[in-house]
Amino acid sequence: MPFPILTSLIALPAAGALLLLLVRDADERNAALVRNIALVVSVLVFGETLLMWARFDPASADFQFVERHAWIPAFGISYIVGVDGISLLLLVLTGFLTPIALLSSWDSVHTKTRAFCIFVLLLESAMMGVFVSIDLFLFYVFWDAMLVPMYFLIGIWGYDRRIYAAVKFILYTMAGSVLMLLAILGLAYLHSTATGAYSFDLMRLYDLEVPPHLQLWFFLAFALAFAIKVPLFPFHTWLPDAHVEAPTAGSVILAGVLLKMGTYGLIRFAFPLFPLAARFFAPGLAVLAVVGIVYGALVAMVQPDMKKLVAYSSVSHLGLVVLGICAMNTQGVQGAVYQMLNHGVSTGGLFLIVGMLSDRRHTRLIAEYGGLKKVMPHLVAAFLIITLSSIGLPGLNGFVGEFLILLGAFRADPRLAAIAATGVVLSATYMLWMFQRVNYGPVSNEKNAGLTDLRPREWLVIGPIVAMTILMGVLPNLFLRPMEPSVERVLNRYHQGAQTEIRAGLAPNLESPIPNPGARR
Amino acid sequence: MTSLNAIVPMACVTAAAIAAMVAEAFREPGEQMPIGPLGAIGLVGAAIASIVLWNHNTSSFGVVVADNFGLFVTFVLIIVGLLSLAISEPTIDREHLPRGEYYALMLFAIAGMMLMATASDLLVIFLALEVLSLAVYVLTGIRRDSALGTEAAFKYFLLGAFSSAFFLYGIAFTYGLTGSTRLDRVGSLIASQAMAPTPMQLLAVGLLLVGFAFKVSAVPFHMWTPDAYEGAPPAVTGFMSTGVKAAAFAAFVRVFLSAFEPLRGDWGVVLWVIAAGTMIVGAVVGVAQSNVKRMLAYSSIAHGGYLLVALLAANDVGKGAVLFYLLTYAVTNIGAFGVIAVIDSAERPNDRLRDYAGLGTDHPVLAGLMTIFLLSLGGFPPMAGFIAKWYVFSAAVKAGYNWLAIIGVLTSVVSVFFYLRIVVMMYMTPRNAEAPTRFPPVPRMAGLALVVSALIVFYLGILPTRVLDWAAASISTIF
Repeated sequence: MPFPILTSLIALPAAGALLLLLVRDADERNAALVRNIALVVSVLVFGETLLMWARFDPASADFQFVERHAWIPAFGISYIVGVDGISLLLLVLTGFLTPIALLSSWDSVHTKTRAFCIFVLLLESAMMGVFVSIDLFLFYVFWDAMLVPMYFLIGIWGYDRRIYAAVKFILYTMAGSVLMLLAILGLAYLHSTATGAYSFDLMRLYDLEVPPHLQLWFFLAFALAFAIKVPLFPFHTWLPDAHVEAPTAGSVILAGVLLKMGTYGLIRFAFPLFPLAARFFAPGLAVLAVVGIVYGALVAMVQPDMKKLVAYSSVSHLGLVVLGICAMNTQGVQGAVYQMLNHGVSTGGLFLIVGMLSDRRHTRLIAEYGGLKKVMPHLVAAFLIITLSSIGLPGLNGFVGEFLILLGAFRADPRLAAIAATGVVLSATYMLWMFQRVNYGPVSNEKNAGLTDLRPREWLVIGPIVAMTILMGVLPNLFLRPMEPSVERVLNRYHQGAQTEIRAGLAPNLESPIPNPGARR
Repeated sequence: MTSLNAIVPMACVTAAAIAAMVAEAFREPGEQMPIGPLGAIGLVGAAIASIVLWNHNTSSFGVVVADNFGLFVTFVLIIVGLLSLAISEPTIDREHLPRGEYYALMLFAIAGMMLMATASDLLVIFLALEVLSLAVYVLTGIRRDSALGTEAAFKYFLLGAFSSAFFLYGIAFTYGLTGSTRLDRVGSLIASQAMAPTPMQLLAVGLLLVGFAFKVSAVPFHMWTPDAYEGAPPAVTGFMSTGVKAAAFAAFVRVFLSAFEPLRGDWGVVLWVIAAGTMIVGAVVGVAQSNVKRMLAYSSIAHGGYLLVALLAANDVGKGAVLFYLLTYAVTNIGAFGVIAVIDSAERPNDRLRDYAGLGTDHPVLAGLMTIFLLSLGGFPPMAGFIAKWYVFSAAVKAGYNWLAIIGVLTSVVSVFFYLRIVVMMYMTPRNAEAPTRFPPVPRMAGLALVVSALIVFYLGILPTRVLDWAAASISTIF
């Protein structure tokens, strides 16, 4: 039996958490030990994800490293994990950001360190689980289980309004996802009427022909769950609260990985499982995405709080990702997946920078800063690179994703692409304006005059992020190549599914009134 | 058939109860006697007897059937009994309750519950109902000097007696119609006339339904629940919120899915409305509670609603859903009340929400256990509550009760809100001036019981296959 690498991605952080339970933590005396154990575990996991990437066959579109075990056989529920080009890099991203998040909390988390590290590791375990699950039931289990550690991270170690934010986060996400659970059940039931056996196996469900009226309901249930997670306008209201109140490590993971689960879910489940309904709803989703792009950018522009500004910029950037998915052509979807990675790196980086500033000054208000460039040149240099990457400067990672998405969107619907492009311009405005107010000009507030520049630990935190933005900008093919076959397969499934069912006369009335984005591919 | 085998489990428990009573009578004042372990021996005896009886489908006097369904519920009751014995210990010590009386009542109640789960005759079900109810009424008011406890016991008694009357009327009408109180004969006679149900039949079913609805605290017959749960000592509340519910649901399932199955078209609609109302009221009103015991009382009302959905949707998929849910709910809920019982101190009940502030820091293990139980009640994976809810809802979707499933999942989100309020208090709120300066230490047995409950919760949540299969196979013995 080959080494079960995907299971170990889930199990290793969980085992690390259990190990930490054994460490006595009376009065934080062992805090350093606890932090180091957690860091070592998360670095090991990152190493494993890299190993997996190295052994991944980029030419194949299939799921690789698949493991299959019966779990609840009476209901066709199995433990099936596997990875394809779409999930591969998201796993690497998860592995990459977790140690950074842990490192970033080194000086800012002083209470209940052990519990903090346990929750971060459990969260990592659940996140890995979400991305590797090919069984829908298993996916849902991880999807729901992930909420609990994040809830504690926000609620215990967050800022002033942390409880409100934590409860809002968990209730919003749950409310969206429980209906998806029913849709999953309905799907498995449908499979049993068609073939006589229950199955939650994604591969089998892909082949299932779902009647059009059920597709509509199922797609809505799935899309609602994912739209809340992304978050798509108008379901985004939990995000600014959660982001702003979460501790830095929480914000990094939330922005870096958790939001991607929504867009990942759209690509992996909602679109290929229900192609007909997706065809019907994609234009509407695309409009919401564009509204989100512009709305998020406009709201970000007027935020006095840096963290809130970054949070709203996430709404805007993820709108772009959803737009790329809705285009349902190669450029759009590839750009969307790429942009998911970019956003994880650059927004994660921005939250880290904001966290460093607020660790020093205990405020996140832009007005409190000014002229930092003279005081802490290294930090500001990193800040600049990440800002530029976030607004999509050519040569850095953000450009590649945005360009591909806009290209894809333009082929699908030029009007939407044109409006989305204004969002990109707006993002340059709010990010650079914020950067200018914080870093340039005279040191207006004397409290800022004595701030220390990057400490060695902070170099370790921000260095990899900066390196990654440059690497992903210069060598995009390194990342795009492994995902290409898988993206093509999703698109084939989507277009074929929609075509055969229309040809079979299953859906005479489901032609969308709006010209369809995928039609001109 | 007059084989006595089928009543051996309850005979074991009854013997232990009588022994406890006798021991109390002969006990010198101040003398310590291991009465609790005596009860545990009786329960373990009952468990062994049930294992021996498994798969044999024995029946005694034609009115008690030890089929696998009854035995599965018996196992649940034994687990409830053992855990209740363990978590009662601190309450008894602290409140200076008469140990023998307390345990004797509890064991008699368990014997009544077992009888109720295995009875196949309406009159015997009624008898069992009275045995368990009388014992539980007294247990509710066992703190004689507590005004709240007395009020609770009195309310519970009055409303319980009222519902018993309904139940008895239902039996009388059924007898009038069919000339028998045995479920199998009632069933075959009703089936032969089921084409056009007469008003008399509907009246009989309706009265029985009301009687059961009272006992499982379904809306709109739930009014007694919060008061009784709040007034009783927390260990007793844990016991009655799980044991009584399990026994009542067992009889409910047996009567309605076997004898009155032919009339499903009529009672199904009523039960649909009751189930929906129970889930909604339980979850929504629970949000407004500031007393943890009342909050969990509404939570158990809501869980009764999910059980009703499982009962309604019992089909080839969801057959075992009722039993699996009962087991899960029993273990989880008794764990949660166990934590409340342990935190309870002689000076103050510590049962308001804000008393939990800072528990996460003072008593990390206890707070962790409580979090596990609450998250399981809320239906989070990988805890048992998730699998149980999933099982119920998959049965509902399969049976075509889509709206009940949708109401169910949405109300479970609402209920998560109030479970989290407790978690917020324990972990995220600093201890305020009003909270107790020190929580009492955890007694060893009670602590062990809580840890065992938590382990069962995880076991059922992560590796549920075997128990799911048992549950599905057990219920096949009755329909």
